[in-house]
Amino acid sequence: MPPTRDQLELLQGTLDMLILKTLLFGPAHGHGIAKHIQHTTREVLVVEHGSLYPALHRLERNGWIASKWQAPPGRTRALKFYRLTAAGRRQLRTQESRWDALVGAIGRVMQPAPEA
Amino acid sequence: MKMRWPFRAPATPGDDEIRREIADHLELEAEDVSRYGAGRGEATAAARRHFGNATFVAEEMRAIWHPTWIEQLAQDLRHGVRGLRHSPAYTLTATITLALGIGASTAVFSLGDHVLERPFPQLPEHQLVWIVQRSPRECPTCDNASPASLIALQERATTLSAVGAAQLWRASLNGHGNDPSDLVTGYRVTPNLFSLAAVPFALGNGFSRDAGTPGRDAVAILSYEYWRRRFDGSRGVLDSTIMLDGAPRRVVGVLANGIAFPEAVDVYEPLVLTAADGNDHGSRYLDVFGRLAAGASVADAQREAARISMQMASESPKTDAGWVLLPRPLNAFHNDDTATLVRIFAVAAALVLVAACLSAANLSLARTSARRREMALRAALGGRRGRLARHLLTEALLVSLAGSALGIGLAAWGIGSASGIIPPSMARYSPGLAFVAVDGRALAFTLALCIAVTLLFALAPVLRATRVPLSAVLAGGGRGSVGDAHGTRLRAALVVVEVSVAIIVLSAAALLTRSARNMVNGDPGVRLDHVLTMQLSLPRGTSDSAARTFVSRLDGRLRNTPGVLAAGVASTTPLSNNWWGTIFSVPGRPPRPNGSPLTANDQRITGDYFRAMGIRILSGRSIDADDRADTSAQRVAVINHYMASHVWPGSDPLGRAIVIDSVPWTIVGVAADVYHGGLDESLRNEIYRAAAQAPSTAMDLEVWTAGDPRAMREPIRQAVATVDPRAAVGDVMTMREMEARHISPFWLIADVVNTFAIIVVLIAVVGLYGVIAYGVAQRRRELAVRMALGATRRDIVSHVAGGAVRLTTIGVAVGLLGAVAFARLLEAVLYGVPAGDPLTLASVAALLITASIAAALIPCWRAARVHPAHSLSE
Repeated sequence: MPPTRDQLELLQGTLDMLILKTLLFGPAHGHGIAKHIQHTTREVLVVEHGSLYPALHRLERNGWIASKWQAPPGRTRALKFYRLTAAGRRQLRTQESRWDALVGAIGRVMQPAPEA
Repeated sequence: MKMRWPFRAPATPGDDEIRREIADHLELEAEDVSRYGAGRGEATAAARRHFGNATFVAEEMRAIWHPTWIEQLAQDLRHGVRGLRHSPAYTLTATITLALGIGASTAVFSLGDHVLERPFPQLPEHQLVWIVQRSPRECPTCDNASPASLIALQERATTLSAVGAAQLWRASLNGHGNDPSDLVTGYRVTPNLFSLAAVPFALGNGFSRDAGTPGRDAVAILSYEYWRRRFDGSRGVLDSTIMLDGAPRRVVGVLANGIAFPEAVDVYEPLVLTAADGNDHGSRYLDVFGRLAAGASVADAQREAARISMQMASESPKTDAGWVLLPRPLNAFHNDDTATLVRIFAVAAALVLVAACLSAANLSLARTSARRREMALRAALGGRRGRLARHLLTEALLVSLAGSALGIGLAAWGIGSASGIIPPSMARYSPGLAFVAVDGRALAFTLALCIAVTLLFALAPVLRATRVPLSAVLAGGGRGSVGDAHGTRLRAALVVVEVSVAIIVLSAAALLTRSARNMVNGDPGVRLDHVLTMQLSLPRGTSDSAARTFVSRLDGRLRNTPGVLAAGVASTTPLSNNWWGTIFSVPGRPPRPNGSPLTANDQRITGDYFRAMGIRILSGRSIDADDRADTSAQRVAVINHYMASHVWPGSDPLGRAIVIDSVPWTIVGVAADVYHGGLDESLRNEIYRAAAQAPSTAMDLEVWTAGDPRAMREPIRQAVATVDPRAAVGDVMTMREMEARHISPFWLIADVVNTFAIIVVLIAVVGLYGVIAYGVAQRRRELAVRMALGATRRDIVSHVAGGAVRLTTIGVAVGLLGAVAFARLLEAVLYGVPAGDPLTLASVAALLITASIAAALIPCWRAARVHPAHSLSE
């Protein structure tokens, strides 16, 4: 899904944070995470679905999320579900504070406060 | 420490799992899309579009779990195998070439490793030392030590936990009632020798501690080989009684298979050292061995032995001053003889390997030249240089791995077929020969070699291929009209080196072959045809008069045996590798300035010895039956021509006297020289005396026969048995067999180096052919232009052939210098041909130039057929 004029490409490195944040609300499978990000950003952020999976595996390998094959309610076939680990929670907090700092800093550059 | 959750590392997902996860996603997405009313096919397509390249994603997911270098290596290997499959001719040629070089090196490594490094694999070799006693002034290369020094080491050395000794001896053995006696070689050993060397036994045990005391010494141990040969490997031999030198001895053990310590002999008996022996400082006749104490090194033992030598020198200066005890690693015991041989093989094999590497590099260069466009394009499209280099290296590694595998096979095969032709005379002095095999150490060596080879032969192509500017290649047009000039020069240089390496090995092979042939054709100074020779030994304790009687009765008996033209005894047979040394002096002449006494080979003969062996008397008379033991008879001696001209240069020795053991012997004749140690050894002084006047219980019998000497074996054996049934007979062979035994090691060396030479020459000629043929193919346009401008076919052919001859000539010139250097190493084993023999070198050079012209013929023919119109329109 190439981004249209009103859509934005994801900033480098922010995908991990979005995934961790999504999983804060409970376990989810890859497709569910993609849909969640798409919906909550009102389709502004485009995640190429394919890029989500390497990110998930990288997070799992780092120990920030864990995975389990299980059948969701109403389905017979098992899907791969991911959940946040304690280390993932800590990682999310670190990333959030870094993100806030970044946004604040960029904001101050773009819209400098009028001098007192 | 940072805690991680979960504690358990996440399981690496398999390929199936990754594929399934992606498939699930696509399915769910397609379901979503179809909810908006899309058709099934359309929904699936949309899901795929949203996903991106699934194969690429899966690859990326896998890469997260597997370290990337493994992935990349696997990829390189896949590409490498694919690349090599595309050029089977290159792959096959390079693999076989490298296999020849690696095979030769591996085989020689195995040989050297077993023969020089680990000659006694069944013993704790590295804890054992061989202790020699030397005097820098009197005898700098002596090996044997005195009994007194053995005792001193046993009592004083703390770096040695045990010290023992051995003494070679020859005995008769009679194991089965009235069977004829066997003449056997054996060692007398101190009872502790086998236990200190941890020698394993097939049956029974070593000698008990007290076996070295008189009265308790009636025991013997058999070697495995002799036990199998003489006693059919029967277990009943243990505790049975055998007759050794006429005395009964109980067999207490049989050594384990393969034990040849200190060297391969038949039997062992205890060495009895009396108190008087223990005080003997002056006679040095023992091979002394020791075991290093825990934690002590050979250097420690050497320091302590030097200290003990100093003590002994101050305690008994008359005998021990200047003599030094020197512990050496055990493998030194045999090495001095075989080291030269292994070194020659090693140099030849290394040269084969170098030629193989150069040749493989050359092939690889030709191939990368052909792929320059591919390489340049890949570089231009963003292929990193490192990655391109790695790609080429991987290919090279694959080829050398294949070459190593094949080479190991070749080495194993070569060792197997060579072990069949190793002469027994060599095997006896190199116990490690029996164990030569391509084992773990050899495999490790080959692996290291393989990596070195890869780097060596891939280096040039890698450097060249990764430095190609795109413009240069693409501008070159279709079939590089000018060609890769620099690459061609490099390849020509490699061929020059190949040719010079070939010259070195080929000239060594030619020299060794000529030397071996000279030895066959040479005249050692004795009759070789129709002569039967054997060793005789009378029982221990036989008196001088009994020995005299035996010799004269044997002489009389053989004179009357039909088919015998002449028969005589001597102490040792020429070419047998046996000597009897004696010290003599010349009355009224001061000892030599350096203090060393005059020595000679001591031959105690009967009158017909000279006639039987065809040795001429040059002046004076021979020994005859009148030279008896009676006190009235004059003690006489015949000397060889060498001694006559060296001890009495310019004057007649007849009538002069020499003194042996304080008895004067008058010289009555001068005999022609005999190369007693073989043609490869220099002449020495020889003194012939009458066996009646200087009796001995051990002797060799030489019989000149009218017919086939082999047919006379039994009649002669019977004649000996009739004279004295207790006389032991051994080593019955013809002089021709004796000669073959002496020469066969030289043939072996020549054969091995010849094989290496053939390989190297083939490699060089194929390499030369490759360069010339490639040059012609590259220069089709140029040649076509030349022809279009009026060059005749003859011009073209001489142009191309001239290039080949030029390369070879440079290679030959460089190689001849190397050949002279290698020949210096060969000098020790060359006979009758100087190391830098111009005739040999010239013929080798001519041979190689001829071969190179032959190699250039096919490309020349191709060049001559270049059709201007066709080639220029290509």
